[in-house]
Amino acid sequence: MAYAAVLRSPHAHARIKWIDTENAAKAPGVIATLTGEEARELAGPIPFFIDPAVFGGKTTEVRCLAVDKVVMAGQPVAAVVAESVNDAEAALAAITVDYEVLSPVLDADQAMSEDAPRVYDDWDDNVVITIPFVEGDVEAALDAADHVIEDEVSIHRLSTQPIEPRGNMAVWEQDGSLTFYGSIQNPHPLRLHLSQSLGIPERSIRVIAPNVGGGLGLKMHGHPEETLVCVLAKLAGRPVKWHEDRRETLLIGGIEQRHRFKIGFMNDGTIVALQNRIITNIGMLGASPGWGMSFLSALSFPLGYKIAATDVQVQAVTTNKGIWNATRGYGKQGTNVPMERMVDMAARHLGMDRIEIRRQNLIEAHEFPFTTNSGLHIDSGDYHGALDKLVELIDYEELKAEQERLRQEGRYLGIGIAYELTPEAADIPGTIVGGFDSCQVKMGPSGNVTVLTGVTSPGSGNDTGIVQIVADELGVPIDSIGIVQGDTEACPYGFGNYSGRSIVSGGNSAVLAARDVADKVQAGAALLLEAAQDDIELANGLASVKGAPEQAIPIAKVAETIYTLNFAIPGIPEPPLESTRVYKPDNIRHTPDEKGRIQPYPTYSFAVHGAVVEVDVETGRIEITRIGIVHDCGTMINPAFIEGQMAGAVVMGMGNAWTEELKYDEDGIPLSTRFKTYLMPRAGDVPEIELVHQVTPSPFTLLGTKGAGEAGVGGGMSVLTNAVDDALAPLGVTVTELPVSPPNVLAAINRARANGGAA
Amino acid sequence: MSDTLPLGVTLNGIERSVEVDPRRLLVEVVRDELGQPGTHIGCLTGDCGACTIELDGQIVKSCLLLAASANGCEITTIEGLAENGELTTIQQAFWDEYGFQCGFCLPGMLFAAKDLLEVNATPTDGEIRSAINGNLCRCTGYDTIVKSIAEAARRMAAA
Repeated sequence: MAYAAVLRSPHAHARIKWIDTENAAKAPGVIATLTGEEARELAGPIPFFIDPAVFGGKTTEVRCLAVDKVVMAGQPVAAVVAESVNDAEAALAAITVDYEVLSPVLDADQAMSEDAPRVYDDWDDNVVITIPFVEGDVEAALDAADHVIEDEVSIHRLSTQPIEPRGNMAVWEQDGSLTFYGSIQNPHPLRLHLSQSLGIPERSIRVIAPNVGGGLGLKMHGHPEETLVCVLAKLAGRPVKWHEDRRETLLIGGIEQRHRFKIGFMNDGTIVALQNRIITNIGMLGASPGWGMSFLSALSFPLGYKIAATDVQVQAVTTNKGIWNATRGYGKQGTNVPMERMVDMAARHLGMDRIEIRRQNLIEAHEFPFTTNSGLHIDSGDYHGALDKLVELIDYEELKAEQERLRQEGRYLGIGIAYELTPEAADIPGTIVGGFDSCQVKMGPSGNVTVLTGVTSPGSGNDTGIVQIVADELGVPIDSIGIVQGDTEACPYGFGNYSGRSIVSGGNSAVLAARDVADKVQAGAALLLEAAQDDIELANGLASVKGAPEQAIPIAKVAETIYTLNFAIPGIPEPPLESTRVYKPDNIRHTPDEKGRIQPYPTYSFAVHGAVVEVDVETGRIEITRIGIVHDCGTMINPAFIEGQMAGAVVMGMGNAWTEELKYDEDGIPLSTRFKTYLMPRAGDVPEIELVHQVTPSPFTLLGTKGAGEAGVGGGMSVLTNAVDDALAPLGVTVTELPVSPPNVLAAINRARANGGAA
Repeated sequence: MSDTLPLGVTLNGIERSVEVDPRRLLVEVVRDELGQPGTHIGCLTGDCGACTIELDGQIVKSCLLLAASANGCEITTIEGLAENGELTTIQQAFWDEYGFQCGFCLPGMLFAAKDLLEVNATPTDGEIRSAINGNLCRCTGYDTIVKSIAEAARRMAAA
């Protein structure tokens, strides 16, 4: 084994004049060095997970090591392989790079000005793509509205930061085949992309993703270090491992965006018009799927609100900030936060209750399936039922009374309310973002079952969930079933982990495969028990005749008979007891409708959130005292896992909105380089979570599941922001800028006081 | 490779000695040279707690110590907690109460929980949260971890 270390650009924008690795090559323990020029001879560009060109945007060539120019601080420019990590890191210091430093452009608005530096020399401007979603005559609707609020909401740059950083290892075999081990989310798609960048057949690559210590979108691939480690292992002539340092993980961000909007509404609270111009600051355009979140932030408007006229446009802008990757929620938090701010702003303007205004505008249960203005076809829901449950859960009326009492004492209690919609299990045409997935179920002669699936688990428990599903279908004990995930040699083709898809796509494919195996077991049992196949029930490890439980045979015995007496017993089903099936959820539509819209999601989970905070107006410090959630993701396979997903997502969302921020200095150098400066919630920062389930099954998925895992991030961000806004309402503060960190909250209070405030 | 230093430790009850690169951190040596990969590296700055181990009976973040400085010490890692494959009461409570998801923070959480319950057999939820404030979890939102530790305390009191 040898170890890699990566030399990264200290500049946000610079030309590389020359690189000298001679001294590094002579340093103790060094096996090989690599520059961008050299790497270009050994590997092609890194394929995009989602290429903006597919949607009519601009694209660029992404290399594992920069050639000629760096466009973000931290971009890899050279690498060393050595006998130990320490030797490799020490040798980096011996590499000399001569840079011609260029002016960076860091702000998205500035990046759009005519005279802004170009991040990519051959582009006309810094706009990657502009995507409009227009429905109805917004100008007329705004004119006709009783009230119009014009304002903006901005969300800062944040990141998901799983506690396990990324890690890659490449092993070349003598026959030219490659085994890649990685803490990654999408083994099969990575195999394709490695074959393209390395120029070797897909069949020569095996990708193994062992237990992953949290994915959260950050471990979707397209990162330079995947191809890089393979090239280094080839050079070194032995396996090479690269283990990311947290400083490197913290180079990867997402979400940073600004919404400039006008929202029009009537005296009774009906929202009639929304115009929104979104600009996302995607930093360096990378091959990983992060930039695509821009698309989702616009597409998801106006969530489940019935707004007749909407005109939403997103522009994704490249700058010299760090690369984006997917952040759990995949851009939907970029809809949830501003939309929930707007609804609260309208309520405050009218003096209307915030639950009431949501009741007034959300799709009603009898109106599903419902087509939104951007063409999304929301499968099912009961938003009003969820609001009723939330009111009860948090005792909303009593909370409001308490808030009033505390205000008299000069204390600033805030009650946050937020609705959240989470489109799940996406399939994006023309990309490797697939909405279907696969499963193989194999029963051996002992009756033991192996499940192989194309979805991977980042620790969410989907492996256990899928095993539960198979156990249920086959009627065998859970401990007789094993599951294999994350190995492209063993598992059927699948897309891995993203978009809350593991149970929707992976779980339902397991149902189909298990039913095929169950059919054969039932046929065999029917023969052995001299009964009709339709009368055979599988449960508790036994195949028994309906209504005659004494007529039964162990399922394991049936399996053994099928494998060992197949020639002896005429008519017994043929082995193997195996089936591989794909599940394609309904409701996805890629044929554009008359307005050119597609429908990339089968299902839409939702939640409503309540939170109580107290703000110390002298310090800007927030104490979160209550979190209440009503969550509806349709049919639940394992409620405990779903609760775990929701609790984790909400706390992550609250951290995202509160103290987590990837900051840069004026030269574009990252300042949030460690967990001492990128502050994620700790146990003492959050209270116990009160969670209530509502179950509105999806009519478009086999078991009625809707997906869990992403939901909660956008809700947590929105509800905390709204709670802080509510707390500070008496001071005349309207929260329009995230994060709601103590300095920002204090600044907002001071601004409001300087303006005379409302109080 | 630079000159090495000798490191002799009692690791999970077994005496071990290895030669270590003086630049190496204790966590790196525990994982790579001593073969105990259950101790995890999340940050290398003492902020996440995934590398927590017991050193001479005290919990420490093993990324904050040079390996060579542990010479002569007794070390317990996560691999040394369960005896004969039997989970400890705390481990079992984490299992039963869904006290982890990806499991990356789990070794550190278990040591923090053990350390708390050794000095405070009946902690409040607030005391539990305070005791694990040095350990980051990005999956659970902490709720089930707090419940696991409270449940472990109840079981230990009843035993």
